[in-house]
Amino acid sequence: MNKKGLDERQLHKKNMIGNQMFLLLLYALMLDAGLYGFGFRWISYPANVMLILTICSGIYVFRLIRSNAYVGPSTEKERPFLKTFLMILVSVAVAGAIIILVNISGFSSNNQTGDMAAPILFIAAFVALAVAVTTIIIKRVQDKDDAE
Amino acid sequence: MSKNLKMKSARAAKDMSQKDIADATGVTRQTINAIENGDYNPSINLCIAICKVLGKTLNDLFWEDDVNE
Repeated sequence: MNKKGLDERQLHKKNMIGNQMFLLLLYALMLDAGLYGFGFRWISYPANVMLILTICSGIYVFRLIRSNAYVGPSTEKERPFLKTFLMILVSVAVAGAIIILVNISGFSSNNQTGDMAAPILFIAAFVALAVAVTTIIIKRVQDKDDAE
Repeated sequence: MSKNLKMKSARAAKDMSQKDIADATGVTRQTINAIENGDYNPSINLCIAICKVLGKTLNDLFWEDDVNE
């Protein structure tokens, strides 16, 4: 059997979750377009699509990890907790540095950042990282629960 | 789906863990756990691989007769 990729149960789960999340993404974008058409703008243009994409992909990854369909059998032995934690720290530092740099450079005087898009993206990234940490914890608890 | 107690008892008889079978068949331990708990219906290829590892036939592990089940 193929030991590099996902096994058959994982592929089944991944396909099922992928289809559901694709439909969720479609409905969310259509709802957003509909609200925009009626004149209701909850966030301005680039941020709303990015936020919807981030939320949908975040839920997708969360559900994949929760159903143990994210890594295949060959990589199951690895426990890259430290690597993940360092990546989270670096991501938060980079996101914070970008916001500080944008504010310092006077770029914020333009209309592009006057709509709070950067802080919203920063919050979205932070929420995504929080979800990633939560899923690691959930996976560890599950591993203990269904151990023989 | 009901639990696959035949597979669980066959595994216990060979003193193998779920992880041992998973490694031998190239799937994750959670997949073997799901099969034993009746949460996942495996393909015929995986069934054959499990049977070979446990030294049983498909009928021994996966056939559900109406009288006993």
